[in-house]
This record gives sequence, C-alpha cells and structure tokens, in this order.
Amino acid sequence: MAAVHSARWLRISRGLCLPLMGRRAGVCGRAPSSRFYSGSAAVPEVEGAGATGTEEVVIPKKKTWDKVAVLQALASTVHRDATAAPYAFQDDPYLIPTSSMESHSFLLAKKSGENAAKFIINSYPKYFQKDIAEPHIPCFMPEYFEPQIEDISEAALQERIKLRKVKASVDMFDQLLQAGTTVSLETTNSLLDLLCYYGNQEPSTNYNFQQREQAEELEEATEGSNEKPKKKAGHQLGVTWRAKNNAERIFALMPEKNAHSYCTMIRGMVKHRAPTQALNLYTELLNNRLRADVHTFNSLIEATAFVANEKSEEKWNNILDLLKQMVAQNVKPNLQTFNTILKCLRRFHAIGKLPALQTLREMKAIGIEPSLATYHYIIQLFYQHENPSKGSSLIIYDIMNELMGKKFSPKDPDDDMFFQSAMRVCSSLRDLELAYQVHDLLNTGDNRKFIGPDHRRYFYYSKFFGLLCLMEQIDVTLKWYKDLIPSVFFPHSQTLIDLLQALDVANRLELIPQIWKDSKEYGHTFRRDLKEEILTLMARDRHPPEVAFADCAADIKSTYESQDARQTAPSWLASSLNHIAVLFLRAGRTQEAWKMLGLFRKHNKIPGNELLNEFMDSAKASGSPAQAIEIVKLAGAFSLPICESLTQRLMADFTLSQEQKEALGDLTALTSDSDSDSSSDSDNDVGESK
Amino acid sequence: MAAARFPACLVLQPRARSLRAFSTSVSPATRSPRPSPSTTERTSRYGRPLRRKALPPRTEKMAVDQDWPSVYPVAAPFKPSAVPLPVRMGYPVKRGVPMAKEGNLELLKIPNFLHLTPVAIKKHCEALKDFCTEWPAALDSDEKCRKHFPIEIDTAGYVSAGPSIRNPKARVVTLRVKLSSLNLDDHAKKKLIKLVGDRYCKSTDVLTIKTDRCPLKRQNYDYAMYLLTVLYHESWKTEEWEKKKTEADMEEYVWKDSSSEKNILETLLQIKAAEKDLELSKEELLGTEEVEEYRKSVVSLKNEGDNENTLSQYKESVKRLLNLT
Repeated sequence: MAAVHSARWLRISRGLCLPLMGRRAGVCGRAPSSRFYSGSAAVPEVEGAGATGTEEVVIPKKKTWDKVAVLQALASTVHRDATAAPYAFQDDPYLIPTSSMESHSFLLAKKSGENAAKFIINSYPKYFQKDIAEPHIPCFMPEYFEPQIEDISEAALQERIKLRKVKASVDMFDQLLQAGTTVSLETTNSLLDLLCYYGNQEPSTNYNFQQREQAEELEEATEGSNEKPKKKAGHQLGVTWRAKNNAERIFALMPEKNAHSYCTMIRGMVKHRAPTQALNLYTELLNNRLRADVHTFNSLIEATAFVANEKSEEKWNNILDLLKQMVAQNVKPNLQTFNTILKCLRRFHAIGKLPALQTLREMKAIGIEPSLATYHYIIQLFYQHENPSKGSSLIIYDIMNELMGKKFSPKDPDDDMFFQSAMRVCSSLRDLELAYQVHDLLNTGDNRKFIGPDHRRYFYYSKFFGLLCLMEQIDVTLKWYKDLIPSVFFPHSQTLIDLLQALDVANRLELIPQIWKDSKEYGHTFRRDLKEEILTLMARDRHPPEVAFADCAADIKSTYESQDARQTAPSWLASSLNHIAVLFLRAGRTQEAWKMLGLFRKHNKIPGNELLNEFMDSAKASGSPAQAIEIVKLAGAFSLPICESLTQRLMADFTLSQEQKEALGDLTALTSDSDSDSSSDSDNDVGESK
Repeated sequence: MAAARFPACLVLQPRARSLRAFSTSVSPATRSPRPSPSTTERTSRYGRPLRRKALPPRTEKMAVDQDWPSVYPVAAPFKPSAVPLPVRMGYPVKRGVPMAKEGNLELLKIPNFLHLTPVAIKKHCEALKDFCTEWPAALDSDEKCRKHFPIEIDTAGYVSAGPSIRNPKARVVTLRVKLSSLNLDDHAKKKLIKLVGDRYCKSTDVLTIKTDRCPLKRQNYDYAMYLLTVLYHESWKTEEWEKKKTEADMEEYVWKDSSSEKNILETLLQIKAAEKDLELSKEELLGTEEVEEYRKSVVSLKNEGDNENTLSQYKESVKRLLNLT
C-alpha cells in the first residue's frame, strides 16, 4: 500500500543534479523544503571551486509532491476508532448524541451557528475587513449580495443575474425594454437560464438539509422511502411551471432566439414538471431547424417518461424516437443520457428489463464508463419487489463481479443510492457473501463518500447488521457489533431484537445484560418490545446464577417504574411481570420477588401458573406457611383455576396452625366452586363438631 | 393521559398515588407537553425532561490491544473520557491525593504527546520513508561529507496554529565553512580573518555568516553566498596600503626584525665584544643553534602565552645562550 501511495504522490524531479558541479541544493523556494516541521535542515552544498573526490558522490534526484501529500501519508497510518462518535461532534460523554434524531439536531445546530455567523458577517461587512490570513482565504471575507450598479443598463442586469436575484433582474429587464434599449441575446439567454433554473421563484435561502429529512427514523425506511427522495429532486418542493410566467413572457418577447434559448426553456420546463409544454417547444425548435444539445435531449427523455396517460410501450417508443433524432442531429450522448434512460425505464416495470440491458451494453460500446447511479437503476429495475419467490434474477452477482475493486468519483446526483439498494437486495436474497462484497466495495478507496446522507447510512448498516445476525457466526457478529454500534449507526429496536435472537440461537444468552446496558445508552430505555424480548429470553430456561440476569431484570423493572411515574398509562405487561418475578426467584432474591406479587395486584395483571408454583416452592424452601397462604389468597383474589391445586398442595406440604386453617377455609369457601364449597363446608362441620 | 399532567415545578418523591391526586386539582393550563419516549431516554425520574445524563466514558469500551494512534491521531487536548489511564495531577490538599483526571484543568493546560507514542512515531516514519531518497553511498563518514560538501547552510521553518503561515523568523540563513577547505594562502587567510572579524572562530576554524537582512530566505541565502565569494576574492587581492602593515597589525609574533632579535643580537655582540671575540657576524650569530632555540622559545612564549612549558623553555634557552649552565 505504501508503494501505491508513493506512486500517487511523488513525482521525481527531472533533470536535476549530479555530483559536485556547482549545483545549488534547492533549499529555498521549493515547496518541500519549506514544509518541514520546525527544526533546522542542514543541506550540504558544493562550493564553486569544488573538491573532486576520488570516488563519485551520486546525489539522487529530488522528489517533489503536492501540498497535502505528507498529510495523506500520515493519515494512512491511522484508522477509524470504533468507540468514538463521528468527528463532527464534541468528544465528551455529555455531548455525544445518543440517537439518530439527536445527532441530526446537533449537526443542524452546528450548521445553524455557522450560518448565523455568516449572516452577521455578510450583513455588516465593514466590521470584518481586517485580513490576517496569509495566504488570503477568500471564503472568510464578507460576501457582497447587494447589487452595486444602480443605473438601468445591461451591466446592471448582468450583475443581478450573477447575484441570482430573480425578481430584480426581471424588473431590470422590463425597465430596459421600456426604455427602448435592446438587450443582447447573450444577456437574455442568461436571464432565461436564471429563470428556468429557479422556476421563476427566488432561490430559497433555506438549505437543503432542513427540507429533506422526513424519513429519519429507520422504522420508516422501507422501499417507499427510496422513492421519496426522488420526488424531492431540485430544491424547491412542488415548484411547478405555471403557464405564462416570466420566462415564457420573456421568451415570447425575444426578437431572435437561438438554440440556447430553446434549450434552456425546455430544460426549465422539464425540471419544473411541465413535460407536454417541453415537448411542444421541442417541436418548435425542430421547426426552426435548430439543434438541441445533449442536456436538452436528456431533459426531453425525462419529459417523455413523465407524460401522463400514455402506456409504457408508447413511452419507450417515443424515447427511441428521440434517440434516433439525437443521432440524426449528431449529438453525442453522455453518461447523463443513459442514466436518464434507465431512470425512465424503471417506471415501466417489467418491460423495462430488456431495454435496460441493451442500454447498458450500448453505453459500454460507446465507451462511457457507467457510474454507480447506473447500477443503482438497474438494481431497482430488476429487484423492484421484495418477494424473492418470484424468482429473482442473478444480475446482482454480475454487477458486483464487475464492480469489485473499482474506485468511483461522483458523476451523477443519484450515485449515493447505489449502496442502499445493493444492500437491500443482499438482505432480501439472504446472501452474506454478497453483502461482504458490497461492504468491501464501500471500503475501497474513497467510495465511503457514496454512502449518502444519514438516513441512507442507517438503512444500509441496519440491513447489513440484520443480515449478519441472521447468517453469520456469533463471534463475528459480535465483533461487527462492537465495531459498528454506536459509532457508525444507531440501531433501532428491531436490530437489537435480531441480535438477541442470534445470541439465542448460538446459546450465548449470558451476553444479554451487556446488550441491555449498551442499548440503554443509545436510547432504548423505554422500548417495550425490546424489554419484552430480553425478559422472555432470560426467563425461558434456568441459568446458573453467575449470569447477572436478576440484576438486569431489576434494572428493567426500575425503568418500567420510572416510566410509570411519569404517566399513568400502565406499561407493564403480565408476561414481563411474570418473567421478572421468576428471575428474582431463581436468583434467590425472595424479598424482591414477593414485592412483585404486590405489583401484580396493583396493576391488575394475572400471574402465570408456573409462577405460582415456583412461589410455592420457594415458600416451602423457606418454610413459611404465611407466605404460602399469601399465594393462595392471591390466586383466590384472581379466581384462578389453579387455586384449587394450590390449596391442596398447601394442606399437604405445610403444617398450618388453627387460625391459618380457618382463614384458609374462609378463603376457599369464598372463592371455590360448589364442590369444594361442600367439601369445605363438611370440613367446617367436622371442625365445629369437634 | 389527560389527568396526569403534573406541573413542572412539582418535584417530589414519585409516589404515584399522591402525585395523581395532586394533579387533578391543578388547572390544565399548566400541563407540560408529553415528551415522546425517544427523547426522554436520559432524563431523570422526575417527570419533566431534566438535564441529560452523561454516557459512561468510552474508556470502558476500549479493548486492551486497540490501535492507540487511531484514538489520538493528531494533537488534541486531553480527553479524560478517551484516555484509559488513571492519571492524577494537582497539588493535594492536606491528607488527600492529587485530583483525578475528570474535569482536571491541569491536565488540559499542559501540552500532551498522546498522539506521538513510539508506536505512532514508528508508523509515521514508515509512511514518510517514501518521501525520502537514498543517502549517497559514498558519503559514509563525517569527514567525507565535510570533504565533498564543505559549506553548511542552516535554515529554520516555523509552523504554528493560526490563520497565517508566515513567520519572520524563517528568513534567517546561517552559512558555515571551514577555512581549511578554502584555497587560501597565508596572506589571504590573514586578510580574510581580519575582514570577517568576529565571525571567525579560531579554535574550530569555522567561518559563520548569518544573514537576515533580506525579507526572504532565498534572498538571504543568495546574499550569504555572495558574501563568501566576495570575501574569498578580496582576500586574494593585495592592495597598496597593505604594504604599510606595521607590527601592531600583525596577528602573530614574528621574530625576524623584531625588537627581541635586535636586543639579543646587541647583547650577544656586546658579550662577544667584551670577550674580545669579534669573529662572528650577525648572520652567523643568527644561524647558531642557541639563537635558534631562543627564537623558538620567544615566539612560542609570545604566541601561546605564559605557561609552564613555554616559560621553562625560555629559561633553558636563555641559560644556554648566555652560557650560564
């Protein structure tokens, strides 16, 4: 690896040096030597009248490298710390986020602070003129957002366009027209560009990240969420192209239009969802015998797919027509063309499969390297429905074979959706090897960048980890657990339940208290299903007392109680009460177990039969008949059918005093059915008759 | 759910019954919004979302054989939750111990080198080897280095945390050369030494030129080389006025034509005259062995100063000269 890196960073300098002639060692003015850490560098130098030794001193050629090469080399010696939170957060136990929502809000807070600072700097630029940065850092200086040129002229219009002031530039344009000055074609084109890009609205000052995140919580990350981000393409949600808006008006006013104007208008219309108008404008373009460029064709392909009320085959034929026209006009397709075709084919569902493969072959034949987005669309197309019973194709294996070891650079906005869809497919196919391949691809080179925003990362890792829990050996799974959670993603309760079931299968239930402790840290203290699962697994079989199940149970009980204290809606389930009591009994904590009985009564839950038997056993073990009577009373209070057998057992195993027997008699008289009534009556009679 | 909103100002023991009873008498206007479960994980038991509780420090999760340079890859302040050592620092109060690492300002103030453990340094050196070229094989000793590369240049670069990378101290250039490696004859060497003055160190025979008068390092280096060249050439030239060098300008004592020579010759001639022995002339006197020895001892005495050796040598030579032994 070191050799590879050096090949990347170093360039051997040519033509320099050799021994002993009046050569100057480049101590000054060369970037490398001035980048030393503080310290002195002694560079030997040869005097002009130089000594010539008998042996030849060969000075090797000097290596040069770019500015960050040394830092990159040093960075290659460190790896990710598995216990640390992402570097953007403050590394303090109090300030590390514990859930995905918290981490998101922390990052937003940080960013909003930066934005506030930038806002202040830009609002009062005269206080921030002092520049001590050397060399000059332009992005620290205040920016000027107000147009400086005030008079009505074309230069003013161009300035407003450059500053992205939509309304001001339209006004300026109108004023110019009213004043009678003609605006040049270029300026009008750039005005049209501005209007079409922003859809005739001012560019929004909100940043993207505040608008996008609705699928944060992983519970909602289903296939549906894969489609949601697609609908939010472009930063304005729901900006539609209204007829007769400014762009169209200006377009109509233009005395001469060239291809650029038509192209801009078409692209703007498609971006803001007016596909039919775009297609009409395209026919007008053809009528004027102008040529469209490749970007316009890309938009048109998208437009044909969006046109409503047409069948998929017709749309596909329209697209093929467009492609033929592209060839006729001698426009070379680029990566975006093919990606757009594939994106549209996705909407055609089943019939899109064959054309998609044809498109891919065509792309390779032309020599355009497919990007990750290409493969993402193909995966979406072939694995659209989750049920593998339909006979899923094996194309994912071909794709992964092709992609192994490749490093990608960002070429398409949808590149970051590849890994999510690939992992989804791996998970539905239950193929761990493939998942490892995908993960390796993620870790080659810089491909980590393509994991996408937070919610996509969580989706990817939770699917990956779920697959690991299902298929991998428990030791490896636990290693991944330590590595990934919580530094890479916050698991949600389903993931943890999967992990617990994996532990169950592998018979490693002694790790459950550790898992519970960890899950309390990242926000699952009050998740009922998780707690239920933990309690069920702990209480199911008998375990030796070294495993601290009782402590864990006590902890869970305290969380239930604290939750109780805050809301009256009872969160206890009968099963959880059962399990906790059983665990206490098995660990020999009889005091607390008896308290649990009180809780049963309080929350009106019915104790299970085995539980009562176990209580009986423990009462017998401690030899206290009062406790046994307690149990019977409890059973009686709930009118349980087991009360009968309990009573009999009580009579059989314990020696009762007279009052106890009478109290017992009352109890059974009150609660038992007629048979036992008569028997107890007869008992009473017998007793009285004595 | 409706009845159980107790106001935030009430913090009592969580006896559910009493709380419930109280809350029914409180007006609904004071109810606080119900916190959703996902945001209340780290709140206390007392109803309202109070201060978050801190996580346990991540030292508990660290494996014993973890990769420490990954935990501290760069110079960072001391983080007690990330350093798994039970460090203590601070002046202990009476009968106490130094304070623990949590919240310890003393540990934060000092510079720490947790990012430069020997393991980390070794790894860094391995990574930086690619930037280095081979040392020339022929230069395997200091003498050879000095022989082939007699001039040594010292420069210093400075790095600091701040918006500016410039540091005015970085322009200083120091040039060092041994005069023995320059091609100078006696007169040139003496003239050079006179020209440079303080910059020449007699004991190590090293001429040091330190320049910082130009704003840039490159310019100072050029200037230092220029100075060396000029000094060399100037010291080889002999000016007219150098012929007027007097004895006071001499750097070392020369016996020829000195007052000591005159004195001793006069003395010897007087001795010879008193002994009525006029055969010897001045040159012959000068050529005799005793006078030679006397000359040597006087020269060494004057040049090296007074010490045991030179004084005893002088004494011997005088005694021999005056035939006193």
